[in-house]
Amino acid sequence: MAKKHTEDEHGHRPPAPMVDEISDFEVLEMAVRELAIEKGLFSADDHRRWTEYVHTLGPLPAARLVAKAWVNPAYKKMAVTDGVKASLEVGVDWINDMPTHFGTPSDYCNLRVLEDTPKLKHVVVCTLCSCYPRPILGQSPEWYRTPNYRRRLVRWPRQVLAEFGLQLPPDVEIRVADSNQKTRYIVLPVRPAGTEGWTEEQLAEIVTRDCLIGVAVPKPGVKANAKRPVHPAVHPVHHDH
Amino acid sequence: MNASSKNDTGADSGEHETNLATIPLLETIRRRGRVWRDLASQYGVTNPDPPWKVNLEATCDALSAEACALPLLERRSEEDELSASLYANVPFPERQLLALAHSMIKRGLVDEKELASRMKQVHDRLISA
Repeated sequence: MAKKHTEDEHGHRPPAPMVDEISDFEVLEMAVRELAIEKGLFSADDHRRWTEYVHTLGPLPAARLVAKAWVNPAYKKMAVTDGVKASLEVGVDWINDMPTHFGTPSDYCNLRVLEDTPKLKHVVVCTLCSCYPRPILGQSPEWYRTPNYRRRLVRWPRQVLAEFGLQLPPDVEIRVADSNQKTRYIVLPVRPAGTEGWTEEQLAEIVTRDCLIGVAVPKPGVKANAKRPVHPAVHPVHHDH
Repeated sequence: MNASSKNDTGADSGEHETNLATIPLLETIRRRGRVWRDLASQYGVTNPDPPWKVNLEATCDALSAEACALPLLERRSEEDELSASLYANVPFPERQLLALAHSMIKRGLVDEKELASRMKQVHDRLISA
């Protein structure tokens, strides 16, 4: 299945051009957001969920793969050892189909499923461009393509994950998987407590896109396409007008 | 989802007035900042939106729904007024960002000096990677 690899291509095509310049507007956006989080107006996790909400709807094929692996140990074993074969059962054929039916066709066809444990957390990046397992996960979010994420995740994974609202205990090892020409990754997160007896469909709903990239972990009740709860502000601001 | 656009109609009840006095920090950014339209053209990028736009939208949503600190309709109404005045020459979504920062500063949700200082920290962090 391997085709000739050219070093300078890193993938199906030369990487798409990027704006490699930091603008005042990019900095302003981050500063506003960080201050709002520090002041307790919302949390980093609230923000990440809103970001995810606006970009994803419904369970992704990768979410179904994870849910199936959670309920079926034999399937889980296959997923971890042969992600391409496991993908067939959720309707994704990496070898024979056009990879995505949208975007740029390419020759990548090796999916690895990275299994988390309570003491090991995986997270996916593409440091060189923006390689992403699109057939099974759809289009990549915009932040995935930013130099900010790509450069900093490999140097300071714990800090970057915290910026997404995911704070891991110090004894949890973090492994960053760098996607490349042939190999794409998804994360198989730990099945959360409180989901005992759930059906595959129920489980798939809580495996959101960000859980599959590894910047979030699934939680019962947190679905990508669920309406976000509205609750009273912790520190309400009173308006005079 | 574009939560803000759904609620455009009738946004302004006319009960409050947007504070249109300039804010020096935002004026500097308005004059000096390079907008996505120009950056994309220079670097040959075809994505119509800057990568930070999705974060900006989520911040606006979270400020309204999570914090109740800056209700959606008020923010949009002020954005419209500011877009027609102070930030009239700034393209979208840069002007949405300036308007958001403007509304937050005028409400005391963030302080101008604090924001300037944080921008410097963020900039230093980004160029350190």
